[in-house]
Amino acid sequence: MVRLECQGVVKEYPGVRALGGISLDFREGEVHGIIGENGAGKSTLMKILSGVEEPTEGTVSVAGSLTKLKNVRDGMEAGIAMIHQELNLVDHLSVAENIFLGREIAVGPKLNRREMNELAAQYLADVKSDAKPTDLVGSLPLAQQQLVEIAKALSCNADVLIMDEPTAVLSEREKSALFKLVKRLKSEGKAIILVSHLLGELIANCDRISVLRDGEFVATVQASEINEHELANMMVGRELGDLFPVKSTPTTEKTLLQSNSLQVRAGEVLGFAGLIGSGRTELWEEICGLRPGEQSQSKNYAESISNGVVYVSEDRKGAGLHLEFSVQDNIVLPWLGKFGKVVTNRKEVQTCAEGWKEKLSIRVPTVASRVGSLSGGNQQKVSLSKWLEGNPEVIILDEPTRGVDVGSKAQIYEIIAQLASQGKGVVVISSEMQELIGLCHRVVVMRDQSFAGELEGEEITEQAMMKLAAGVQSA
Amino acid sequence: MKKEFKVSEFVQEWGVLIAFVLFSIFVFVKFPDVFHNPLTWRNLFSQNVDVGLIALGMTMVIIGGGIDLSVGSMLALTGVLGLSFLNRQMGSGSESSAVLLSALGMVGIGGVLGAINGVIITKFRVVPFVATLVGLLVFRSLALAYANGGTITSSSKNEWAKVALTGVTLPVGKAGMLIPWSVFVLIAVALFLGFLLNWTPFGRHLVAVGSNERAAKYSAISVDRVRLWTYTILGLCVGLAAWVASARLNSVTSTTLGQLYELDAIAAVVIGGTALSGGKGRIWGTFIGVLLLGMITTTLVAAGVSGYWQGVVKGGIILVAVLISRGKREN
Repeated sequence: MVRLECQGVVKEYPGVRALGGISLDFREGEVHGIIGENGAGKSTLMKILSGVEEPTEGTVSVAGSLTKLKNVRDGMEAGIAMIHQELNLVDHLSVAENIFLGREIAVGPKLNRREMNELAAQYLADVKSDAKPTDLVGSLPLAQQQLVEIAKALSCNADVLIMDEPTAVLSEREKSALFKLVKRLKSEGKAIILVSHLLGELIANCDRISVLRDGEFVATVQASEINEHELANMMVGRELGDLFPVKSTPTTEKTLLQSNSLQVRAGEVLGFAGLIGSGRTELWEEICGLRPGEQSQSKNYAESISNGVVYVSEDRKGAGLHLEFSVQDNIVLPWLGKFGKVVTNRKEVQTCAEGWKEKLSIRVPTVASRVGSLSGGNQQKVSLSKWLEGNPEVIILDEPTRGVDVGSKAQIYEIIAQLASQGKGVVVISSEMQELIGLCHRVVVMRDQSFAGELEGEEITEQAMMKLAAGVQSA
Repeated sequence: MKKEFKVSEFVQEWGVLIAFVLFSIFVFVKFPDVFHNPLTWRNLFSQNVDVGLIALGMTMVIIGGGIDLSVGSMLALTGVLGLSFLNRQMGSGSESSAVLLSALGMVGIGGVLGAINGVIITKFRVVPFVATLVGLLVFRSLALAYANGGTITSSSKNEWAKVALTGVTLPVGKAGMLIPWSVFVLIAVALFLGFLLNWTPFGRHLVAVGSNERAAKYSAISVDRVRLWTYTILGLCVGLAAWVASARLNSVTSTTLGQLYELDAIAAVVIGGTALSGGKGRIWGTFIGVLLLGMITTTLVAAGVSGYWQGVVKGGIILVAVLISRGKREN
């Protein structure tokens, strides 16, 4: 039975056509994957299906009858629950209060905290979360928060569950627990919509997969009849060369940066693996002087920059870029002194930014465009330009391809390889193990804020990294 | 995840109460003449009822991520309108029914003025600071124009003043000690708002709106309606304050009533541990904050410190309170 269906859905924002007539159906007891590059319209479509936004044209039907979803409440009442890509939780409320936010259980005017906590505990157990119903959400690690978000969606008892990139911040163990849960929900007859940009994840867990590109429908395929390569080609719309460039061989043994036992050598790509919360980001922020600690090599970040060590944040929107600034203003921000001691020379700024636009093929109308309007991949290239402009010796890239489409990914990998072949030291912190295998000469695995081990060359495999990251003793 | 005991967290959570207790002990020992007299403690409550009521309402607004600078002017406007209504009613009908109607009228006027702020902020999308700055100017100006820049005196002989001048007599001292009804109004409002904040869906929605507006919206909460209610609640509190203040003074002076109350109220909220950024706050903290501020004033007077120095001391206390409640600085 078709639980949810959209027909000819068009969504236009001022000046942008985000969706150009999408028709899809989602069936009972089925996991339906949605894949597409960033900006393909996946999230917009999900917002329409869950009632966050209304379509410009086209219709949505729930269980066979036309339904107007005007707001989130309409969506909930129609039995559609969504797990949002960006966490939508309230830090200052408890886990249980978050799960029942907007649907509190009350006796008269008074909240029934006991019942809310008891029910919340059941949903938390369902998603294998260690969090307690009374914990404040703000005190939980990111992965636990994601599980709370999933528990919140489950608590709606919806017939249709939309999961928008649910695994982005989960470790392997939590991912496998999540997909077990998905299987169970499927057997209970729920329709599950799984939005992801991870090809392997979709093929392994979906029945059907629909591909979107630039707001248009490309195809719906059976997951059992397609491989990653074909799917990636459908998504990008052209033949993808091998995603990873050839690894160059470092020509010197020169050490560019040393912190206790840790070395970054010239001409190498050094990977950092580990589960969420293993302390990778914290370690490198410490080394760069961005947070206080024993590892600090510099008393502040400015000193680190002048020592030629720069850090490109995993949090593009929060710490990496000023979304309201233009491309050029973002790129020159740390280096404004170079463009005039008192008055900034706008002409030089523009020339500099245009140089980077050319070099990294940033797809943007002009360098005066607002960064917030760019896709994730292009934002990341702006972020890279910003730090490469300082001509650093050591570049630390924290999750350089998170939220980045396949096309831009390949380009970013190419840039990383080039930097290494120019004799720079590149540090890549990543949760995508394929990425570390494809790029790195050496990989350091972290667990519980300390080094669990180091792998080199052929030793770098998913199994080896997983073992170290999870602390499994090898037999 | 075991909960460890951390001194910094304990101080952060209970700081205002600790400060209040320590300060009480200090003044009790240091200024026995003043603070061994139970009347001093009574006055601490009874003289701060109007600021206290406003501060309690302000707590709700600030938790929702807003601010209201117009409360002092609103108090004056509500006061002059309410008292002249009372005086007109006194002409027709019994005194007690006129008093009752006028008291309700004042609360109603406050509620309407608060709702106007709320509508300007939520429907016309004016940032709260600016919208209520406009209120600060306009309400005061209307009060001045209405009262011709003067004072409106209640023509009720004794009924109107009853809320502030009569109450429950406690068996303290020879003549007993009178706790005026207004103090009970303050306590009742504090209990009601505390319940509303912590034990009802509305309270949870309010925290959600102030802490993460997007998450609230995605949980099908009407963000605008919640915000509108907070300003209306504050307006109702201002109405109650106008009633109590005009009863205590038996008059309302359009030029001075409520002047700088907005700052005292916000100060009490901040000292009480409510975050100005919204999403986190407590009613009891504000209650203690009001008392602490009042106690500082009393102490300065008792110590013979010139009134000119009050601002320095209060400012210092606010700064320390914010430093403590923010906790350890995160990078």
